[in-house]
Amino acid sequence: MEQKKSFRLNIGPVHPATHGVFKIVVDIDGDTIKRAQTEIGFLHRAKEKIAEARYFSNYYPIVDKLDYVSAINMEVLYASLVEKAADIKIPPRAAYIRTIMCEIQRIMSHLIFMGSFGEDVGNITSLVWTLRERELLMNIIEKISGGRLAPMYMTNGGSFYDFPDGISEDITKAIDKIEERINHEYQSFFLKNELFLKRTKGVAIIDQEMVKRLGITGPGMRAAGIKRDLRKDEPYLCYDKVDFDVPVSKDGDAYARFMMRVDEILQSIKIIRQALKDLPAGDYRIKTPWMMKIPPKYTFVRQETPRGEMAMYMVTNGDTKPYRLKIRSATFFNIRALEEALVGEKVADAVVTIASLDPVMGEVDR
Amino acid sequence: MIFDYIDSLGLRFVSAPLAFLGAVVVTFIIALLLTAMIPVFVGWADRKFAARIQSRYGPVYVGPFGLLQNFADIVKLLGKRFVSTNVDWLSFNFVPIALASASFIMVLLIPWGGPSLSLISVPYDLLFIYIALAVSPLLVLLAGWGENNKYSMIGGFRGAAQIATYEIVIIISIISVALLSGSYNLSGIVSSQGSLWYIFYLPVVFVVFFLAGLATMEREPFDMPEASQELQAGWKVEYSGIKYGLFLISDYVRLVIVAMLIVMLFFGGWLGLSFLPGIAWFWIKTFIVMVFLMVPRWVFARPRIDQFIRFGWNWLLPIAILNLIVAGLVVI
Amino acid sequence: MAAYFDLLSAKLGKAVSQAQSNNDNETLIVLSDKKLIKKAALEIKKKFDILFMLVVVDYKPRFELNYVFSSYSSKDILTLRVNIDEKDYSIDSISKIFDSANWEEREAYDLFGIKFNGHPDLRRILLPEDWPGHPMRKDFIVTDEVRNWTGLDLKF
Repeated sequence: MEQKKSFRLNIGPVHPATHGVFKIVVDIDGDTIKRAQTEIGFLHRAKEKIAEARYFSNYYPIVDKLDYVSAINMEVLYASLVEKAADIKIPPRAAYIRTIMCEIQRIMSHLIFMGSFGEDVGNITSLVWTLRERELLMNIIEKISGGRLAPMYMTNGGSFYDFPDGISEDITKAIDKIEERINHEYQSFFLKNELFLKRTKGVAIIDQEMVKRLGITGPGMRAAGIKRDLRKDEPYLCYDKVDFDVPVSKDGDAYARFMMRVDEILQSIKIIRQALKDLPAGDYRIKTPWMMKIPPKYTFVRQETPRGEMAMYMVTNGDTKPYRLKIRSATFFNIRALEEALVGEKVADAVVTIASLDPVMGEVDR
Repeated sequence: MIFDYIDSLGLRFVSAPLAFLGAVVVTFIIALLLTAMIPVFVGWADRKFAARIQSRYGPVYVGPFGLLQNFADIVKLLGKRFVSTNVDWLSFNFVPIALASASFIMVLLIPWGGPSLSLISVPYDLLFIYIALAVSPLLVLLAGWGENNKYSMIGGFRGAAQIATYEIVIIISIISVALLSGSYNLSGIVSSQGSLWYIFYLPVVFVVFFLAGLATMEREPFDMPEASQELQAGWKVEYSGIKYGLFLISDYVRLVIVAMLIVMLFFGGWLGLSFLPGIAWFWIKTFIVMVFLMVPRWVFARPRIDQFIRFGWNWLLPIAILNLIVAGLVVI
Repeated sequence: MAAYFDLLSAKLGKAVSQAQSNNDNETLIVLSDKKLIKKAALEIKKKFDILFMLVVVDYKPRFELNYVFSSYSSKDILTLRVNIDEKDYSIDSISKIFDSANWEEREAYDLFGIKFNGHPDLRRILLPEDWPGHPMRKDFIVTDEVRNWTGLDLKF
């Protein structure tokens, strides 16, 4: 009889722990992973090709579904790109509105991360709790933009609507509640929970060398000890007018990546408070033509999304549509780390490792 | 006991063999109803309780307070197709039946809240119940292998390793209690706790038994064999329809049985103050224990299988053996 | 900004020339000979950590490859522009030098059909292996073969 040392396990593409459609093929010896191979592309929707057929103002619904967990960040990125290419200066109120919305969306995205991470560690309650907190902000997004998951709020030169009356009290109330929950309930639920610590500390270490080799950005990079945040280093919108810290950790394990997100939520709350206080009066958008022509140029914009540095590179040729739009997705690079980080881990930790990178396949496959 | 009662009742009207046969049929029907009713009501309590922890409502629509939701679920499972392919027919179909039969045997043997309330009385009923509990690692392995699926294979291995570890812990805890009371009969153990409950003699054994009970029941957080996040449902992954329903039933039956065992071994069973009848005391205690068995599922993360088995061999087993030695010295 | 250009021109001489960029912090360098890409990448590796993105633009029939490099310690980015013509849609892979280029090159191969010589694992990444054609090319036409494509024939 032939003796086999290891056997091959296909995790995904319809495995619930892969956060979408993502396949990872692992060779297992006993319960230990010997080799891991990732496979992506199951959610490829040809977004870059579609961009070549759409007017600059018609692409927002598509860009919403890029990273569907943080749609506003995607919209702001695309809006900044078009405005930079067309030399549109947005009014200060629009910049503040965008900052606030970006940070609200960032909190929501990180809450989803916390929930799904806790769920992948084995605690279903965490997902229900974080969704409960996310709902507070979801209602605010709905109140402001009319949409929930894909709000389609941004447009060239600002946003579609102004903030409604009294929204700043609603936001303050919601973020106060979330801050209190994170400082008390979640502390005892995650960070003082011995079983949670045992599952996450020292698991799937991604160190600085690996980060620099693979091009990992975002919380995964900061967890490895590289202090870098585009909001701080290349301030866009009005991030240079607010005061916040960039959390950094040295460990680089799953727990550190979790903690980065928790700390970032607290920093985002800080940013929202300041931005709400300074929110200037005035126009929330400047009118731009629906169909505008952009002269031939190469435009590059990068911003800090919840998952890392996302960039767009647009080539225009004087037409009403882009000649080529290239989207640099942060997770596309981050997810490659799995091939190395998974080797030597247990099967149970594979799920935790995938969750700790927080992949959203809509963004990876584009 | 109930069997004997029915038998003697029948003897008044018909001849002895017929009365015996009738008693068997009636007892089995009662046991079957009990086995079927447990998941309905315990499952309801479980789901409601979980819902409250997660700030949800839980089942509300079927029956008053959603009480019949699990009944509806099982009926739904009865109508479902079996979708598994390429399975080993014999082992695949044998396991759910065997597991359900094991829970059926436990229901038959355990005293339902009084010395004379067990369906069949056997002198060493504690051992028999233990055997019905301990048969599951083999079945889990068989199911994991017979399903012809890699996930179920891993789940089966995990399940067998985990349950085998914790069955040993359980039997040693049971032996310590039996040593103190000098009996393997549940009624005997309860009646010997008249002066003081064994929880005060053997608090450490209680904790050990509680953890090991959670582990053998495969309830979260110790559900590594069926870890729904990494292995989908582990060794249950290919099962569907009522075959899966039988697992559901046996899960809840084992939850109730372990809770009842804890009450009878450590909390004095149906003994209590005289203003309430014994059976009421018994069920109050059982429900409290059951709640404590349910809570960890919703508040703790799942440990890794190697961590958990190491914990079993390195800590629980030595502690249990040490306690057995101490108990033995005390008795001598 | 000019420092990066001097660094490259010291090694590669006339093959590189600086072009005007309309993005801040960006140095745009045009490499005239695609055979020198590996040499240029080795030089760039001294200052930059990762290949940030690889933008392929299809000016049919030739392709323009924009390698965008980024660094973890500074905010500068460097764009290296290389043209490849219709005679040979292939270029040397730089994924041995910049590991982060691995998947970007696979993507360019997948969507544009550019062959990267010396790539360790040049397979399609986003599309299925038997997909007909390279859809991001401007001359890609949705034929019946594409329209009726149903997926791999799986054999059990």
